[in-house]
Amino acid sequence: MARKGRSSVSAAADYIRIAGLHVSYDGVTPAVSDLDMTVAEGDFVAVLGPSGCGKSTLLHAISGVVKPQAGLIEVAGQPVGTGRGEHSVPIGYVFQDHRLLPWRTVAQNLAIVLRASGVSDDEIDGRIDRYLDMLHISDFRDTWPLRLSGGQRQRVSIARALAVQPAVVLMDEPFSTLDEVTARIMRQQLAELWQESGQTLVFVTHSIREALFLANRIFILTRGPARVFDVVQVSVARPRRYEDPALTELEAQIVEHVMDQWGYGPSSAGTEGT
Amino acid sequence: MGLWAVVCGDRGHVTVERLTPLRQITGERRQRIQAFVVASLLALAVWQMMTFISGGWVPSLWRIFKALGADATTANTYAEMWITLRRIFITFAAATAIGVGLGVAMGLSRRVTVFFRPIVVMALAVPDIVYIIVAILVLGTDESSGLIAMVLALVPFVVNIVIGGVGARDPGLDEMSSVYRLQRLRYLVDVVAWQVSPALMAATRTCFAFSWKLIVLVEALSQPRGIGAQIYYSFRLLRPDHMIAQAILFIMVLRLIEAITFGPLERKLLGWMQ
Repeated sequence: MARKGRSSVSAAADYIRIAGLHVSYDGVTPAVSDLDMTVAEGDFVAVLGPSGCGKSTLLHAISGVVKPQAGLIEVAGQPVGTGRGEHSVPIGYVFQDHRLLPWRTVAQNLAIVLRASGVSDDEIDGRIDRYLDMLHISDFRDTWPLRLSGGQRQRVSIARALAVQPAVVLMDEPFSTLDEVTARIMRQQLAELWQESGQTLVFVTHSIREALFLANRIFILTRGPARVFDVVQVSVARPRRYEDPALTELEAQIVEHVMDQWGYGPSSAGTEGT
Repeated sequence: MGLWAVVCGDRGHVTVERLTPLRQITGERRQRIQAFVVASLLALAVWQMMTFISGGWVPSLWRIFKALGADATTANTYAEMWITLRRIFITFAAATAIGVGLGVAMGLSRRVTVFFRPIVVMALAVPDIVYIIVAILVLGTDESSGLIAMVLALVPFVVNIVIGGVGARDPGLDEMSSVYRLQRLRYLVDVVAWQVSPALMAATRTCFAFSWKLIVLVEALSQPRGIGAQIYYSFRLLRPDHMIAQAILFIMVLRLIEAITFGPLERKLLGWMQ
């Protein structure tokens, strides 16, 4: 099903390199099994899969939150580390929920991760202003997160991820908890932000339309344990419209393609829910 | 002109407020004041009834009031109170420091929990008087024996409350701090400590309340000085009015200390929740 199309990729083709990845939380049931994936520098890729297939686990492994049982993960030619305080490739992570420290103001939330990333005190304020401005939330610099709306909190979370100037930004269904209008605005802004920054971005979602709207390439995972079973190149020109008929057509093709693989096809009838 | 009063708020803070005439107070506040007045009058009536029933062994309200006036104007009362307050402070500070340290360590480390859990459970079950008697038997009636006994009695309570707070922390914030590689100390200060702060406040208040009650008991049993010793002395001289008056004075001082220390601290630590 691989499609050819416009690609913005010109730098290192294997900026993120994952080979033979195997992750299991209990040592018995694999969450990710034998997963291979490469992402080029500056690329925007989406990871698409059904709920519970292991998409988040994949991001956890890339960020070093979980240690894989087997396999290789390299970002910018360096293996990712695990654990607090460990020196490794800087990674920005936007979680499904914002995960801001509610007892710290917006600026302090950014300052904490910037300090942990080794940014000097002189530079921190400027960096905070720059990224809050980029995400249109400068007015909330000294506000407690609890006083912000869901969309504003997620903007802060994105600003935090970008402010550390990471090698890669990982996003785990960041708009899934927002209302549809806010989510659309956020997607639009994210697409523009990526075009401006040229940041390498891995975006996990279970929404095919969202993946098509945002990404250059879509890695489709199996139902679980997670394994890449297809890669879709999205050739629709940017800036894209969410309602673009070309996206609708691609969405229909992908739905048809994954139906059987995700256990909703005719061959899976009778097995669903068992 | 009107009347002014020092008011202890719900969260322990102290303010000076102009008293509003009762007819102008409405709603829930009026109900609270009415309930307080009714409960106080009822308690005083029950006490006076006990005076009649006991044939004078229970001192009348008037006798207590007179004793209160006499003790409140005696320098010795405050000298004894100071001795007790010093002991309370030492016990409270030691028990809080050890209890919080151990509680946080147990909440964060499974190994530490496995080792200390049975000890803490056993220590919680031991009656406080046993600690006091054993300490007197081992260390004599020296002041330090009582203090050590009290610290041993209080630490398990503090540990128990703190473990609960640490255990209930948000695992999402742990993941966030791991992704952004927060150093161990920063993680403890910026992520764990703030989440545990409500439990810490509860543990501190519990420790304070228990420490003064137990110190008074220790003083009555084994010390020649202190408010506890004075209360016991009044009891032996069959002066129950002075016994009660000294207890009331001491409680008033402690409530004031609690209000001017814990109140502002609580508002500072938990202000972000507002």
